Amino acid sequence: MRLGLGGKLGFGVFAAVVLAFIYVPIGVVTINSFNSDRTFGWPPPGFTTEWWSAALQAPGPRDALLTSVKAGLGATALALVLGSLLALALTRYEFFGKHAISILVVLPIALPGIVTGIALQSVIANVLDPVFGINAGLFTIIVGHATFCIVVVFNNVTARLRRAGASLEAASADLGARPFMTFRLVTFPLLRSAVLAGALLAFALSFDEIVVTTFTAGPGTPTLPIWIFNNLFRPNQAPVVNVVAVILVAISILPVWLAQRLGGSTAAESRL
Amino acid sequence: MRSKKALVGLLAPPLLWLVVAYLGALFAIFATALFTTDPFTNEVVRTLTTENIKALFDPTYLRIIGRTILIAVAVTVLCIVIAVPFAFFMARVAPARIRGLLVAAVLVPLWASYLVKAYAWRTVLQPNGVLDSTFGTTPGFGLAAVVLTLTYLWLPYMILPVYAGFERLPVSHLEASADLGARGLATFRRVVLPSLLPSIAAGTIFTFSLSLGDYIAVQIVGGKLQVLGTAVLQNITLDLPFAAALGTASVVIMVAYLLAVRRTGALDNL
Repeated sequence: MRLGLGGKLGFGVFAAVVLAFIYVPIGVVTINSFNSDRTFGWPPPGFTTEWWSAALQAPGPRDALLTSVKAGLGATALALVLGSLLALALTRYEFFGKHAISILVVLPIALPGIVTGIALQSVIANVLDPVFGINAGLFTIIVGHATFCIVVVFNNVTARLRRAGASLEAASADLGARPFMTFRLVTFPLLRSAVLAGALLAFALSFDEIVVTTFTAGPGTPTLPIWIFNNLFRPNQAPVVNVVAVILVAISILPVWLAQRLGGSTAAESRL
Repeated sequence: MRSKKALVGLLAPPLLWLVVAYLGALFAIFATALFTTDPFTNEVVRTLTTENIKALFDPTYLRIIGRTILIAVAVTVLCIVIAVPFAFFMARVAPARIRGLLVAAVLVPLWASYLVKAYAWRTVLQPNGVLDSTFGTTPGFGLAAVVLTLTYLWLPYMILPVYAGFERLPVSHLEASADLGARGLATFRRVVLPSLLPSIAAGTIFTFSLSLGDYIAVQIVGGKLQVLGTAVLQNITLDLPFAAALGTASVVIMVAYLLAVRRTGALDNL
């Protein structure tokens, strides 16, 4: 397909329009965080930094941020262990039911979050609470998040294991290393950056999750997305919500940058 | 390293977690769809009935299910129409040095908070908002706003696999087609599209399933619009079995879609 100058120009203009479509809404939120009108009338009648100082002092978002970070760290730690174990089992061994397991791992993010959410909610109400005395709270948030974070760690570690092949481990065993020593000196160093990239993705996934969290978080432990959603429809909180939104967008550049440095573009794209 | 014991050690913890914590919960909720509720206490009563499944075929709910599928299809089609030319530009037209920049430009919004993006559209679409005061009109909150917002949210999920598909397409195929006398459009229809189909299908899995299950964006920009997700939400406290039946319906639709798309080889492209 040879494109003339006109054709190239046409595609260029189209691409510019798409990029504008992608970035204009984010830009509007950023500008609105300085909008002096409480209801975000457009164009802004004036600019103020009042909302920024209010947001930075408000206890609500700060507590929610803390919960989000705790939940993200907990879920990531669990997903790291479970996802890596599963990846090692599925790439290095042949056994019956392997295929079914690889589908099972994907299910938690493939099925609608609301179904996973109500399923976990009724487990909390019918099993965890009456039998173990565990109420909805940080612990149940972590359990829910870990369930769908396993897959991103699994994907990253599996891709690395496939690329690396098993010959290095075989060589280590031939040289007399016991299995644990092989893991410590050969397998783990091989996996380290893939595990890190997986951890980053798992944390980001957990940090942004709202649907499953709605059903697993108790009333006392909102995560940051839950806090935003709860305050979204309260007119007098709107400016503060808006500032928190801008901060979140700014933070989101970090994982793209980090993941690209860690594992090439594949790590950032494996959010898919 | 390859003993049975080691395999069991590796598999046991993750499988215990996924089977007990996840599959167990999932099947419990599917089973709940066959139970009923006590009309006075709203507690779930464990007597088997197909009432909830039958109620799904009530015109009210058929309309909601139809509307949800329609939204998912519309969003998917829009994403394809935007993503294919854009990805073509990224992979084949843009100079190589800005290609990496374009990929990053698509990736950053993918990582930005879902909630923030939906919220951003709320401020763009609201009366007196950007659209209203710039163009004097806005679609307001409703069906059009939901389709627009969901298209925005899931667009990167379509652009990236299609871009990867274009990258894999050998330039020689395009040149051969042109040498054999095909015009641009004929080449696109008979060479590009067939080899791109698995990548597009992979993208539709995301756009379709994410739109089908969404209820947060619908609440933010949908006004009073009812979709499967919001219907599930409204029934949870009062009639959990019926909420479970609605949830099961969305799972069934999704699985049917996955099976249909599997024939294009899309699942290997994820």
